[in-house]
Amino acid sequence: MPRRVSLYSLTFSLPLLIWQLLFFVFPLVFLVALSFWTVKNFAMRPDFDGVNWVTMYGRAVFWQAYGTTFALAASAAILTSVLAFPCSYAIAFKLSESARRWAIFLMVIPFFTSYLVRVYSWQIFLSDRGIINVVLGWVGLGPFGMLNTVGATMVGYMTLAFPLVVLLQLFSLVFIDRSLIEAAHNMRCGRLRTVFEVVIPSARVGLTIAALFCFILTFGDFVSPVYLGGGDPTTLSILITDTTKSGQQWPRAAVIALTMIATLLVVAFVTVRFAYKGRSK
Amino acid sequence: MNRDTLVSFEGVVKRFGSFVAVQRMDFEIRKGEFLAIMGSSGCGKTTTLRMLAGLEAPTEGTIRLSGKPINHLPTWERDTPMVWQSLALFPFLNVRENVEFALKMRGVGKAERRRRAEQWLDRMQILEFAERNIAQLSGGQRQRVALARSLVVEPEILLLDEPLSALDAALKVRMQSVLKNLQRETGITFVYVTHSQSEAFSMADRVVIMSRGRIEQIGTPQEIYGTPRTRFVADFLGSSNIFSGKVTQSGSTGLEVATRDGAFRLSGSVPHLPQSGEEATITVLDTKTNLSVTPPEGNLNVVPVRVIGEEFVGATATIYTETDTGHEIKVQKSHDELASLPVGAGQRLYASWSPADSHLVGAA
Repeated sequence: MPRRVSLYSLTFSLPLLIWQLLFFVFPLVFLVALSFWTVKNFAMRPDFDGVNWVTMYGRAVFWQAYGTTFALAASAAILTSVLAFPCSYAIAFKLSESARRWAIFLMVIPFFTSYLVRVYSWQIFLSDRGIINVVLGWVGLGPFGMLNTVGATMVGYMTLAFPLVVLLQLFSLVFIDRSLIEAAHNMRCGRLRTVFEVVIPSARVGLTIAALFCFILTFGDFVSPVYLGGGDPTTLSILITDTTKSGQQWPRAAVIALTMIATLLVVAFVTVRFAYKGRSK
Repeated sequence: MNRDTLVSFEGVVKRFGSFVAVQRMDFEIRKGEFLAIMGSSGCGKTTTLRMLAGLEAPTEGTIRLSGKPINHLPTWERDTPMVWQSLALFPFLNVRENVEFALKMRGVGKAERRRRAEQWLDRMQILEFAERNIAQLSGGQRQRVALARSLVVEPEILLLDEPLSALDAALKVRMQSVLKNLQRETGITFVYVTHSQSEAFSMADRVVIMSRGRIEQIGTPQEIYGTPRTRFVADFLGSSNIFSGKVTQSGSTGLEVATRDGAFRLSGSVPHLPQSGEEATITVLDTKTNLSVTPPEGNLNVVPVRVIGEEFVGATATIYTETDTGHEIKVQKSHDELASLPVGAGQRLYASWSPADSHLVGAA
């Protein structure tokens, strides 16, 4: 039987299809093409030359930035997940229904303001004569150099991802069948042990997806490593801007961007596979 | 306190805010018995079970296990394994890991854990599914996993919260015999919460009937069926015809109660003899009630009725009739017994029963 495409389904799917083609597939194809162009005398020329790939992949600074970015994003994913878990656990299991609604509302509020604004305000807290150092000075401590460190970058990453990770974790925790937790208690599994034996395994998919989102958001982030980390160490996002600024090397920047996209695709695929491993639905 | 007593509830009350779930409960559970706690939803039966399991704390009173008060013990320090209505099997563990869980929590070594888990899986006839995921099992197989998981620690008591409610009728009957045999063979005390009369009466040694947070009656299924103690129990079981009225005669040989449908006599022993003029409710089982075309001879209670309907279930039929005042009287008979009786709707007949088959119940 030939499948007929009805006008009805087309009406709803076509805009999405056009949107995807226009703003995702087409730019991606262009990016791939761009990575094979060449630059002569600060001018780009359409070409089909693998020189950009060879140059970038042959540079130690690229691999260094790649390693740094990957490690930073992975650390942010783990650290944010670990710090967010007690928070989402408490909201899911310890709060009343109405208090939980308020907590969810409060977790959404940070998204009202621009991430850039929130990162700038962290500078006021973290700088050498910022709020934290002034307060510490009152008790005779410091000043500590907190701005332009990896730690500050992490703070920025968490500003970006923490509320989202809490929300994602929360939605997987609230759907855990409470009788599973009672059953564990009933079988001599104490409170803390139940968290590791039952709660985390039950919410594994949600917790992993939350960490994945954190990785995706921070892997490509430019704001925190520049404005809080001081641009050192260099991340791939910083390397892209540097590359475009130095000698109009857009094709080489495209190589970095495509490598990042490929990395995220692989990480997302592997993570989702891990999340659903052993589950047969 | 009896030596055979395993659990005792002493003046146990449970309130949730202003709602009283269980009010002043006193009863005992005997060692090795199959006790069913039965009642409609919201009667407090599950709360009672959860208090015993340590999942809810009593507001007042004492619960003792083997003589020791256990009110203050959290569930993970009691040996009161429970089978949940939802079964609460861990979906992220396979069958074997589910059964091993309680042993793992008790610090039993890996080899020993495996041996004991396999022993129970074998006993429940699900050893071949040991490495399967829970999602791959049928309802009946899951039931067996849940039982193995609770029994693997060889407890003294097993609590079951309507575990069969999700199964289809045929499987339910099969699991009932599995449960009953298991209880008999192991000698473990089973406390079984259900709203189903057939489940409770077919498996239990004793049945507790609850209503609105109180115990209405405790007894063997035969006792409760034959002599419901309260009007609620008679109503709930649905197998009795019930009449209320005022006592007109009261003596050592029995009493007479004047109801809207006539005066009915009752003979035999009664728990307490009411005075003339007191309110009284009498019951008679639908199987002990007869129907006839002409008024029957002999020392019987008789009331004229009109047939309003009939219902056939298996080998028996229930004829629904009503008196002139609209009071329903049902009669249960085998098809053979009814063969010679015209039971078309509207047919006028006489319902009758012996004064010796009537029972006096509490007014509550």
